[in-house]
Amino acid sequence: MKKWLTVITVGLLTLILSACSLGADKNTYEETGVLTAWAWDPLFNVAALELAKDYYIEEDESFELEIIENGQKDIVQRLNTGLSSGTMKGMPNIVLIEDYRAQSFLQAYPDAFYDLSDYFNIDDFADYKKAPTSFDGGQFGVPFDTGVTGLYLRTDYLEEAGYTPEDLTNITWDEFIEIGKDIKEKTGKLMISINPNDPDHLRHMIQTAGVWFTEEDGRTVNISENEAVREAVRTYTALQEEGIAHINTDWSSRVAAFQSGEVVSVAVGNWMTPSIKAEESQAGKWTIVPIPRLSVDGAVNASNLGGSSFYVLNIPGKEKAAEFLASTFGSNVDLYQDFVTEIGAIGTYLPALDGEAFKKSDDFFGGQKIIADFITWMEDIPSVNYGMHTYASMDILIGEMQKYKSGKELDDALIDAQKQAEGRLSN
Amino acid sequence: MNKLKSIFTYLILSVAALVSLFPFLWMLISMTNKSVDITQGSLMPGTHLFENLRNLFENYNVGSALFNSFFIAIIATVLCLVISSLAGYGFEVYRSKGKDIVFTILLLSMMIPFAALMVPLFRLFGDISQVFPAIGVDTLYAVILPYVTTAFFVFFFRQNTKMFTKDLIEAGRIDGLSEIGIFFRIYMPSMKNTLAAAGIISFMNNWNNYLWPLVIIQSPENQTIPLLISNLGSGYTPDYGVIYTAIVIGTIPTALVFFFLQRYFVEGMTGSVKG
Repeated sequence: MKKWLTVITVGLLTLILSACSLGADKNTYEETGVLTAWAWDPLFNVAALELAKDYYIEEDESFELEIIENGQKDIVQRLNTGLSSGTMKGMPNIVLIEDYRAQSFLQAYPDAFYDLSDYFNIDDFADYKKAPTSFDGGQFGVPFDTGVTGLYLRTDYLEEAGYTPEDLTNITWDEFIEIGKDIKEKTGKLMISINPNDPDHLRHMIQTAGVWFTEEDGRTVNISENEAVREAVRTYTALQEEGIAHINTDWSSRVAAFQSGEVVSVAVGNWMTPSIKAEESQAGKWTIVPIPRLSVDGAVNASNLGGSSFYVLNIPGKEKAAEFLASTFGSNVDLYQDFVTEIGAIGTYLPALDGEAFKKSDDFFGGQKIIADFITWMEDIPSVNYGMHTYASMDILIGEMQKYKSGKELDDALIDAQKQAEGRLSN
Repeated sequence: MNKLKSIFTYLILSVAALVSLFPFLWMLISMTNKSVDITQGSLMPGTHLFENLRNLFENYNVGSALFNSFFIAIIATVLCLVISSLAGYGFEVYRSKGKDIVFTILLLSMMIPFAALMVPLFRLFGDISQVFPAIGVDTLYAVILPYVTTAFFVFFFRQNTKMFTKDLIEAGRIDGLSEIGIFFRIYMPSMKNTLAAAGIISFMNNWNNYLWPLVIIQSPENQTIPLLISNLGSGYTPDYGVIYTAIVIGTIPTALVFFFLQRYFVEGMTGSVKG
C-alpha cells in the first residue's frame, strides 16, 4: 500500500510543481511596459500591426507590443466572457473588432473601451466607417481596412457568351440574373456561387440601398417594412430558382467554385483578391467591375462586406495604446502605402489614398488598376449603422428565406422575421 | 439464405465503414496536398507533405502546443481518475443518510451546460489571479482545475463499483487493512477496465477541450492544439494543407491512447451497462 501511495503522491507532486513553474505570471502593462493586441489573420491584420509597430518604434525606441493571433470568433468569445465577468483580467490593450459587431460591444460594455476622440480625426477616414466605430458621441475605433465590394468577372467566359465587362458594369441584380441565364445557356457555366446558410451577399446587397436590418438607432428592427431587405431576399432566392447559382456549403467549397473555374463571377469584398489570384493558371482572365445594386430607389453600385477597426480597452496602458494607434493607423500616410504593397490591405484613411501604391496596375486582372478602382467605389459606399444585431438578424432571415423558397409568401415571411427579431432582440 | 444475409450485412457494414472512415482518409490525403488542390476536392495524395509540415512547424509553435495539451490532458486525467474513483467508491460502499440526496444534486449538476458556467467560472479565476496568479487566468492550471472531476465520472465509477464484490472489502478489513488500503490494494487493481475506460474518455475530453481553454488561455505560449488549429483556419485565405497537417498531428495522441487501451475500454463500458 505504501508503494502505491508513494508513487501516486510523488508523481502528482512533480507534475503539480512543474505546473506552478509553468504558470508564468502574466504581467500587466504597469509592471512590464509591454502592450498586447489581439487580431486575426497572420497575413493580413497581424501583418498590418507588425508594420505599424515597426514605424512606431522609430518614434519611440522603448515601445513594445505583443501581437497575439486569435481567430475572429475566438476573439469575440474571449471578449464577451472577459467583459461580462467584469474582471478585465487578461484583456488586451488593443483589439480588432469587425465593424458588424462593434456596436454590440460598445453598447453592451460602454465603460470597457477608451474614447479616442482626442487622439485622431475620424473625418480623415471614409465616411461609412464612422457609424460602426463611434458611440454616444465618443469615437472608440480607429478604422482599418475597407470591405469595399466588387464583382469579379471571368472575361473569357463573358467573351464566349458574347458579353463584355462593360455590359455588367453598374447593373442591377435583376439585370445580373438575366445576363446570368443567357451566359449559362451559351456556355453552361453558372453565374455565381452562394451559400444559403451563410448568405453574406444579403449584407452587401442591402447596403447598396443605404439601409440595414435595424433602423439608424441600431436597435429598432427594420425588416418587414424595409424595401431593400425585401428586394434582397427576393433576388437572393431568384439566383437559386433561376438555376444560375452554384451552391457552396462552406468557405473552402466557395473558394473552390471560382478556383476550379465553375463560376463566371464572384460578388465579394476586396479581401478575396489573394484567393482569386491563388489559382495562377487563371491569370489575365479576371477583371473587376462595380458590385450590382438592388432595384430600389437610391441604391448605388458600391457596397461593403466585412472590414474592421482597432479599439483600445479601458485598462492601464490605454494612453500609450491610443498614441500608438493615432500615430500609425490614424495618421501615417506611408504606412498605408506599405499596407497595399506588402499585404494587399486597402485602408480607409483618405489622405493616404493618393499615394503611388494605390495606382499600380495588376497583370493578373489584365492590367487593371484594381486598388484605384476599389477606392473610387469605396467613396460611394452608403453609410449605415450596423447596430447591435447584424448576425442575429441574419440568422432569423436565413430561416424565413428558406420558408419563402419552399412556398411561403414573401410578405408573410418578412413579417414573421420581423416578429421573431423583435421578440428575440428586444434589448 | 444465410449467405445472402451475411452478404447483405457486410454490404451495410461496408457502407457504414466508408461513411465513417472517409473523413479520416480525406484528412490524411489532404495533409499531402497544397491548399488549392484541397479546395478543389483532390482525392489523390500529393507531394506537399513536407512543405506543409515545414510551414506548420516554422510559423507556429506546435511543439509548445503539443506539450501544453499533453500536460493538461495527463494531469487532468490522473487527478480525475483518483478523485472520481474515490468518490464513486465512497458513494457505493459507505452508508450515510444524506448520500442519495447529495448524489442527486451531483447528477443534476450534469444538466447545466458549460456555456452557462463559463462567465462565473472566469470571474472566479479572475479573483483567484489576484491572490494566487500561478493558478489564475492564463495558466495551464486554470484549464485543468474545473476538469479534475466531473459528476459524470463519479456516476461512472459508482455504477461500476456496483459490480465490485463487497465481500472482498470485509475480507480486507478482517486481514487488518486500513480503509484507504482496501481502496488502493483491493479495489483499484480490480477496476482496471473501468479506470481504462474513464481514462480514455477523460484524456479525449481534455485533449479536445476547446471552449474553456479558449477563454481562459491568452498567451500564445500557453496555447493548446485545438486553439492552434482554430487559429490556422481564421485567416481570410486559410492554407488548408497546413490546417490538415495540424489536425492529423492533433489526432495522433488520442488515436494512440485509444488503440492501446481499447481492449479495456470495451470491457469497461459494457461493465457499466451491466451494473
